[in-house]
Amino acid sequence: MKKTMLNLTVNDKKYTVEVNPNQRLVDFLRDELNLTGTKEGCGVGECGACTVIMNGRIVNSCLVLAAQAEGAVITTIEGVKGSEGELHPIQQAFIEKGAVQCGYCTPGMVLSTKALLDKNPAPNVEEIKEGISGNLCRCTGYQQIIEAVQEAAKRLK
Amino acid sequence: MREFNYLNPASITETLEFLHTYGEKAKVLAGGTDLLIELRKDEGPAGLEVVLNIAHFSELQYIKADDEWIRIGSGTTHAQLATSELLLENIRALAHAARTVGSPQIRNRGTVGGNILNASPAADTVPVLVALDAVLTFKSLTGEREVPITDIYVKPYKTNVRPDELLTEVAFKRLSPTATSAFIKLGRRNALAISRMNVAVILDTDANGNISELRIAAGSTTPKPGRTRTAEAVLIGQQPTEELINEAAKKVSEEMIAITGYRWSTEYKEPVIEALVRRAICKALEVRP
Amino acid sequence: MYKYIRQAVPKVDVAEKVTGAAKYAGDLKFDNMLYAKTVYSEHPHAVIKKIDISAALAIKGVVAVFTEADVPGTNELFGGFHVLTGDKVRFIGDAVALVLAKDVATAEKARKAVKVEYEPLPAVFTIEDAMAPEAPQIHAFAPGNIVDNSRYHLIKGDMEAGFKAADRIFEREYETQFVEHAYIEPEAMVAVPGFFDKSITVYGSLQSPFAVRGSVADALSWNLSQVRVIQTVIGGTFGGKDEIAMVLATRVAVAAVLTGHPVKLVLTREESILESSKRHPYRIRFKVGVKEDGTITAMESEVVAKGGGYNNKAQFTNWRASIHATGPYRVPNIRTEVYGVYTNTVYGGAMRGFSSPQTIFAVESLMDELADELKLDPVEIRMRNVLGPGDETPSSQALGPGKIPAPLPQMIEELIRETDFLNKRAEYAKVNAGSIKRGIGLAVSFRGAGLGGEGLDATGAIVSVQADGSVTILGGLTENGQGMKTTHCQIVAEVLGISIDRIIYPNIDTMTVPDGGPTVASRGTLVGGKAMALAAGEVRDRMLQVAAEMLKCMPTELEIRDEKIFSTVNPELAVQYTDVVKKAKDIGIMLASLSWFSPGLSNLDHKTGQGDAFPTYVWGAVVAEVEVDTETGKVAVTKVTSSHDVGTLINPKGAKGQIYGGIVMGQGMGVLEEIEEEDGLLETNNLDEYLIPTAMDIPEMDIVIVETDDTFGPFGAKSLGEPATEIPAAAIANAVAHATGRRIRHLPLNLERVLLGHKLTRKGAKP
Repeated sequence: MKKTMLNLTVNDKKYTVEVNPNQRLVDFLRDELNLTGTKEGCGVGECGACTVIMNGRIVNSCLVLAAQAEGAVITTIEGVKGSEGELHPIQQAFIEKGAVQCGYCTPGMVLSTKALLDKNPAPNVEEIKEGISGNLCRCTGYQQIIEAVQEAAKRLK
Repeated sequence: MREFNYLNPASITETLEFLHTYGEKAKVLAGGTDLLIELRKDEGPAGLEVVLNIAHFSELQYIKADDEWIRIGSGTTHAQLATSELLLENIRALAHAARTVGSPQIRNRGTVGGNILNASPAADTVPVLVALDAVLTFKSLTGEREVPITDIYVKPYKTNVRPDELLTEVAFKRLSPTATSAFIKLGRRNALAISRMNVAVILDTDANGNISELRIAAGSTTPKPGRTRTAEAVLIGQQPTEELINEAAKKVSEEMIAITGYRWSTEYKEPVIEALVRRAICKALEVRP
Repeated sequence: MYKYIRQAVPKVDVAEKVTGAAKYAGDLKFDNMLYAKTVYSEHPHAVIKKIDISAALAIKGVVAVFTEADVPGTNELFGGFHVLTGDKVRFIGDAVALVLAKDVATAEKARKAVKVEYEPLPAVFTIEDAMAPEAPQIHAFAPGNIVDNSRYHLIKGDMEAGFKAADRIFEREYETQFVEHAYIEPEAMVAVPGFFDKSITVYGSLQSPFAVRGSVADALSWNLSQVRVIQTVIGGTFGGKDEIAMVLATRVAVAAVLTGHPVKLVLTREESILESSKRHPYRIRFKVGVKEDGTITAMESEVVAKGGGYNNKAQFTNWRASIHATGPYRVPNIRTEVYGVYTNTVYGGAMRGFSSPQTIFAVESLMDELADELKLDPVEIRMRNVLGPGDETPSSQALGPGKIPAPLPQMIEELIRETDFLNKRAEYAKVNAGSIKRGIGLAVSFRGAGLGGEGLDATGAIVSVQADGSVTILGGLTENGQGMKTTHCQIVAEVLGISIDRIIYPNIDTMTVPDGGPTVASRGTLVGGKAMALAAGEVRDRMLQVAAEMLKCMPTELEIRDEKIFSTVNPELAVQYTDVVKKAKDIGIMLASLSWFSPGLSNLDHKTGQGDAFPTYVWGAVVAEVEVDTETGKVAVTKVTSSHDVGTLINPKGAKGQIYGGIVMGQGMGVLEEIEEEDGLLETNNLDEYLIPTAMDIPEMDIVIVETDDTFGPFGAKSLGEPATEIPAAAIANAVAHATGRRIRHLPLNLERVLLGHKLTRKGAKP
């Protein structure tokens, strides 16, 4: 396998690196950049634990080759921050509404929420459900996550 | 993960050159929502040497229309289809079908070209495109050809597309302004669901309320997608009565059984495809302007 | 008035989870770490003739390949599980070799290069196959493939007289499926050889660290004290990361010791589904005698668990089933028999509910069927028989004032009112003309809290106040995402009268606390919380003594609130918490305590299942509403109302989270989820085939919390994680039967079963 060059921006930081052609974006983020907040749960794009925002849209980073991220701007959970060292309002809302149990789906959920609210600042419940429908959660039954998204929308107004 | 070399062509022409050089040893990678799953498996694509990325070609991402045709670039994502004003106005069923694919993450990456070429019997956009009598444009170094979508399918997950060919466009004729469309999907759950079965219907009525045009295409019923013309014939030129709609639906299940034989799953599929066809016809009738 | 108890305190360990900083086992890295991959069986039942590792070893980057022969200690672990299987494989998840390489990709490649020669044996895949005369025998120690230590009886009254007293006798059979835990984090385990001495540390996604430690010590032939097990942050378990965690830990620990390198093993989802336990499928047969008015006179039940290739849990799940098999009803004459059988399939283990989701589905379906037969409504039949104050449980424990609370009759009445159950039931029956039919169903339960007669229940806790006023607490149980740490912090803060922010609660480490047993049976609050309360109480008493010396008064007149210690006699007399802490250090008083809580051995006759099965019980009732598409078989669960007796509600937000999660997990079992197999091979391999509910599938959910005066747990709290999960599938099944008029006695109620009444497989129709 011939290594391939990759230029990309992750959490506002620019990288120029060589990657294996068969390396997935999720492995690149976790293994090379040590951004282990991006989780892997299934490897087939079903669970959404590896969700990152790529060029403004959520993607399953297990279904993207790292090399395909050439020129991309990526936000992982590590890049979601509030102002002045505080948690981002979405993160605060997740804590406050009890939307986190085991936490493994949480990074992906937070990123899906962010992408949703960036596009649609006042989603209704059906839109929220659709917005997080690619993120499986086995602990919460989603209810308090939906409430957290509503709360985050309020705070971000 | 399988091992391969990665090629990131600078242009469509370069892509065609690579395809010409590597042929069956190359796999074209766009959204990756099907291919990466295959690459992860040991038994994935045989003889694979290179993966050819085309996801970065914005020139393959478009939905445009002239007076006669609507043309969609093969790299257009399901998310783009689902939110396209042009589609929502002219052929709602296609936008709707795209919106039922997978999840937001999948729709943001997965492309219509990939959905067509993966050749899954459960593909959601394919029945709509079949009902639209869509035409596919393939390019290669030796030229360009246009093929009706139904002509490329050999069996589930197998097409007759040549290894040096690149799908660049899917196009279909605009419908008459009075025509309507409907897509119905039965999945086991409401997101991240593969169609257990699905149906697309395109329908038009004349001034008397008789059905002047009807196209019915079901998914996950037969190994190759196609319209059920026997079912369409039942209603064309007729007032859409409950009895005739039922008869048309029956024709779809009959044709399914004629093609596949009575299989282990037929006991379920036979009554259910009839119900879905009935519903799709009724839905298309309901949304008439 | 409590400051922390009953308050919706935000979880104490979630800031790291929302920022991605929390480290799960798969996130850990160590220098010179090797990556392991397992070679799995290719047959459900076969003798291993030969394992050839030479080609694998020849691959560049491969460091070692281990087989059974390399295991330094005991290869055969608890329940017949192996570190690595050597003689014969008993299901397709059996591990026959372990490859170690410098990276995962090389390990993957090497795994495929290990050549194993098998001699396939005839195999058994169903309960019926396993019990057939002349059936192939899976374990030499289990004649007839019966899991003998899992056989339990509950015998009460006089069956002959009971059936004689009945007006009518009914027989029914119900069956459930293999259910996958489907925690979103697949298993991960890292073993690191000791830096300073002959020891090993295992970091892992696990819920029973002491059991893991025991297995690792066995596999290495080392002492328990040389093995240190630390739970990392865990991405869900629900009872699942138990056997699998023990086995994986032995694998990485052996590899780490043999190679001298840290070793990491992370399962893919496919490997996780292949190798981990499932909720046991149960086949439950009832013969029940009833009077025309619905009064049950006798109940005979045979409960058989499909065990799989190995067993480590049926003896526990089945015991619980034996106590609960007849439901929360007054049944004077009972004969219940429960046992498990080995099959050449994936194996059953603990899963949230621990046999109750299965038995509740069966007994609550039965109750509705009896009601239909006797022309009663579902509420009438239940109210006629339900246990209440003054009654005795099936194991003859007394219920009522001053005894074990029994609020179920009132809970049912309230829930029926709240949900407008009877009106809706009548109304839906009228409007159900079209293809979409609505239905509403009820199911109720009781649940023994804690381990009860399953085994000795005991756990410890350490509360240690530091010189700066911060407080370290250590517990013998694990945080699994359920919020146990938050609950424990609430309890300790409440008892000490300090701010919850002062408390630091590290993950469990077997080096720091005594063996507290497994975090199962909803013990986290009940038993673990009690130990915390005791330890905090002892520290509090010492602080009061110090304060009394400082204030020159009696400790008994002192109280702590909001970090102030003051005299209730003279409120002017007061001192700050931090000053007391300093003083204690100065005068050499230890503000730390290790406490131990055990309800003691239960007083139960295991031959008859009679006696004190559990220290107390929790009660629950659920109403589910559905819309059934009778032309496709699709069931939409539209609303679930879930009512639970929690004793004292410790954390309203946390409790709701447990209930919502339980409802949706129950919904999955009810309508979607099933691990399907064909001849011992998995047909369901990943989350695209094993379908758990998405956010777009969930019903509207209502919660009713009932508080009872129960003195057993800390501040009167009981348990909730399992009760919330065990009832919804049964309520949904009853709602579907109400909607369609057809009873389906097998879960899940998927498209095919609901439409056709049976399941479809390539080999034809199955029930």
